[in-house]
Amino acid sequence: MDESALIRAAQRGDERAFEELVRQYDQSVLRMALNLLRSPEDANDIYQETFLRVYRNLHKFRYDCSFHTWLYRIVTNLCLDVLRKRKVRKEEASTIATGDGELDRMDSVPEARAHGDPQRELFSRQLNGRIRDVLSGLTPRERVVFEMRHYEGMRLKAIGEVLGTTEEAAKNCLFRATQKMRAALGDFT
Amino acid sequence: MKCDEAARLLPLYLYGELDFDEEERLELHLDGCEPCRMEVDRQRRLNDLLDAAAVRMNDGMLTSARLESRARLKREPRLDRDWWTRVGEMFSVRFARLPVLAQSLGAIALMAIGFLGARMAPPGLFPRSGSGSMADVLDPVASRVRYVEPGDAGRVQIVIEETRRRTLTGRVEDEPIRQLLMTATKDPADAGVRVQSVELLKSQCGSADIRNVLLYALQHDPNAGVRLKALDGLKQFASDPETRQVLTRVLLADNNPGVRTEVVDLLVQHREDEMVGVLQELLSRENNGYIRQRCQRALHDMNASAETY
Repeated sequence: MDESALIRAAQRGDERAFEELVRQYDQSVLRMALNLLRSPEDANDIYQETFLRVYRNLHKFRYDCSFHTWLYRIVTNLCLDVLRKRKVRKEEASTIATGDGELDRMDSVPEARAHGDPQRELFSRQLNGRIRDVLSGLTPRERVVFEMRHYEGMRLKAIGEVLGTTEEAAKNCLFRATQKMRAALGDFT
Repeated sequence: MKCDEAARLLPLYLYGELDFDEEERLELHLDGCEPCRMEVDRQRRLNDLLDAAAVRMNDGMLTSARLESRARLKREPRLDRDWWTRVGEMFSVRFARLPVLAQSLGAIALMAIGFLGARMAPPGLFPRSGSGSMADVLDPVASRVRYVEPGDAGRVQIVIEETRRRTLTGRVEDEPIRQLLMTATKDPADAGVRVQSVELLKSQCGSADIRNVLLYALQHDPNAGVRLKALDGLKQFASDPETRQVLTRVLLADNNPGVRTEVVDLLVQHREDEMVGVLQELLSRENNGYIRQRCQRALHDMNASAETY
C-alpha cells in the first residue's frame, strides 16, 4: 500500500495501517528527538506524545501538505517547547549532577563497542562535551534547523515548511548555527 | 566575489543549498583563493566531526518506545473518526430521538434524496461496483499480484495472492497458540512482534522446544530488546550446560553492552573452572567498565589471574 492509501485506511480506523504508517517514520522521529534533546527519557516522551497526537488528529489531516511535513511539524513543535523551557530554566537536561560531578545522560545509552584506543576515546569525549556545549548555546530554532539539515538531511525549503517560515529564514538560521559551531569547534579541525 | 561573501556562502555550499549562479560564482572565487579553499576543507572536517558525534540510537530504545506507544494507543478511543463516520454518528443520534413515524418519514426522504442524487450526478462520480472491480478485489484482504499474462483481444490474466487476517485467541499453553508464537519469534519484519512473542513464551520455558526458541533468539535476533527478553526467560536455566554454552558464546560475540552485562551476571552466579578462560579472554577485549569489573571480581573469587600468560 502506498502512503496515501495507508493514511486513508488509517483514517477509516484500520489500526494495522496506522501502525504501518508509524513504522515508516518513527525511527527518525525518535532519532531526531534524541539528537535534539540528548536525553533518552525526553526523547521517549516526545515519541509517545507525537504518535498520540497523530492518532488523535489523523482524521483532520487533509493533504494540504505531505504527511512527512505534518508529522515533523508536530515533532519539532514538541521539541521546541522542551528546548525553550530548558532555556527559561537555564538548565541543560542532557547532563545530570552526580556525586562524581556532571554526567552526560547519553552515557546511559548503550553504544556499539568502543574502539579501545584511550587517546582517541579522550579526544572523542572532549569533542562530544564541546559539541554538547555549543548545541545548548544555540537558540531552539537554530538547533532544530541545524538538526534537520545536518542530521536528517532535509532541504531548507522543507525545513521552512515544517517550521512555518521561509526558506530564506531557515537559511539564515542554519548560517548562524554553523558559524557558532565553527567558532566553538575550530581548534578540533 | 570577495572573501567575506564567500565565507557567508560556504556552509550553504557544503550543504548543497546554493542556487546554480551562486555556486558558479563561489567556485570561481575558490579557484583563485587559497585561504577560502582551506576554509572549505576546515568546514568539511567540522562536518565530519559532527557526523561522528551523532547520537547512535540502539534498537532496544526504539522497541520499548514502540511497545509503550502501542499500549498507550490501545487505551485511546478507536481511530474511526473520519468525516463520514462522524456524519453517521450524528445522524444516528438525531434519529434515535425522533418518534417512529418521523423516523419512517426521514428514511423515505433520504431514499428520495439518494435516488435523485444518483440520477443527477455526473457519470463516473460514483464507481460502479460489479464483478472484477478493483474495490471488490482489494478491499477485504491484503492482495499481491503474483502473475500477469497478456491474453487475446487486449484481455489480461492476473493471479492475485490474498492474505486474509484472522484473530485467534487462547491460552499460551494451547498448542496452536504456542506454535504460532514460536513462529512469530522469527518474524524478520517486526521486532515488536518478536519481543511480545518471546515475552509470552518465556513463562513456558520448562519445555525443551521453547527453550530452544529462546536460545536461538538470544544468539541470532538482530534486535537487542528481543535478545534481552530471551535472556530473561533463560535465567532459570543458568546452570544447564547447553544454556551455559550458548551464554558463553553470546558473552564473547554480542555487540550490545546491555546484553553482555546481563550474560556475565548470569554466568558468574555459578562458579565453574571452565569460566576462567572465557572471563580472561573477555577481559582482554572488553571495553565496558562494569563488565570488566565483574570479570575481575569473578576471577578473583575463583583464585584465578585476570590475565593469560
